[in-house]
Amino acid sequence: METISYQDVNSQVIDKCKEGDNRAQYELYKLYSKAMFNVSMRITNDYSEAEDVLQEAFISAFKNLHTYKGEASFGSWLKKIVVNAAINAIRKRRSELVPMDERTIGDIAEETYDDDSEWKVEKVRKAIMKLPDGYRVVLSLYLLEGFDHAEIGDILGVTESTSKSQYSRAKKKLLEIMKEPQFAV
Amino acid sequence: MRDKLEDFVSEHRDEFDVFEPRPDLWQNICQEIPAPEKEAKVINIKFGERASFSADFLFMRIAAAVVLLLGCGLTLFLMKQNAPDANTMMAASQQQVISNIAPEIVEVEAYYVSEIEEMKGELSEYDKKILGLSGQKEIDRELARLDSSYMQLKKQLYTTPNTEEIVEAMVQNLQIRIEVLNRQLEVLQNIKKMEKTINAELKENETTNI
Repeated sequence: METISYQDVNSQVIDKCKEGDNRAQYELYKLYSKAMFNVSMRITNDYSEAEDVLQEAFISAFKNLHTYKGEASFGSWLKKIVVNAAINAIRKRRSELVPMDERTIGDIAEETYDDDSEWKVEKVRKAIMKLPDGYRVVLSLYLLEGFDHAEIGDILGVTESTSKSQYSRAKKKLLEIMKEPQFAV
Repeated sequence: MRDKLEDFVSEHRDEFDVFEPRPDLWQNICQEIPAPEKEAKVINIKFGERASFSADFLFMRIAAAVVLLLGCGLTLFLMKQNAPDANTMMAASQQQVISNIAPEIVEVEAYYVSEIEEMKGELSEYDKKILGLSGQKEIDRELARLDSSYMQLKKQLYTTPNTEEIVEAMVQNLQIRIEVLNRQLEVLQNIKKMEKTINAELKENETTNI
């Protein structure tokens, strides 16, 4: 079977990086560092930890660039590395990342959005940062990083349905936080 | 069915990325990226059905390798004995080429290099740590940077048609180095002077107090 290789806009830059070209490496870094830093920030919720993760992830990405064969976009390949590094980082500081109880989604009531007209990016973003780690990670991965529940399950070492239910609870909690008086900006 | 939160986020996805890593983080990363390794090419010869071939001839292969190595070693040894040191020869011939391309730079370089060495000698007489001079690292880095760009310029000399420009840049590079070292020397001298006056004042105070 023919494998469709993803035509990356950066493929030339990436080839140069594989040869160890410093300038090309910096170019890639410039291109992706901000987005990747935000991914790392959302998972670790800690500026200096997020920087450590970013550093570690980029170093490991450049070291293992030869394993990148262009089967996905470079951005999503890199994002996987960042996400894994970030999750390792918070696992190190806490014993358990996702204290999952295996309840199913069924027993969680459908959320009601009664004041969604007032949503602002800043408000939602700050509310996400107030979520406990387990909730924040699943919610960020799904909502912002675009992973599906099967992928999140793989990343966190849980089942797909656990990821789903965890996400529902996280969302519910998020909406509660946004209703708190100090959040009514 | 998509829900409102998801729609909201995907609509404003870019606005969620508000953080920036500190700008000098790249330096840290850059330092830890390993230098590119030349990919080792492994030639695989498959014998298919006759896979046992390789095992049977293992002894022969080792023997062949040993013979080859011995041979190479011997020739190298003999060559070394006969020929003068290859490195010095290379350097000498390079110098020759440069003096053909740009005769003036040879002299200029020798002059500045001796000047720089002298200043470095003077500088090393000061104990920078005791004087609390910060920024030594930056100065060293700057000098290293200058050195590497100088090397590059020197390489360009062989290929460029416009030697004058390159030579000018090389001289400028050497002058900047002198300037950097001069500044540092000045700073150190000032610190020394200040220390002396402070010490003198202290002594004076002591004597007046008594």
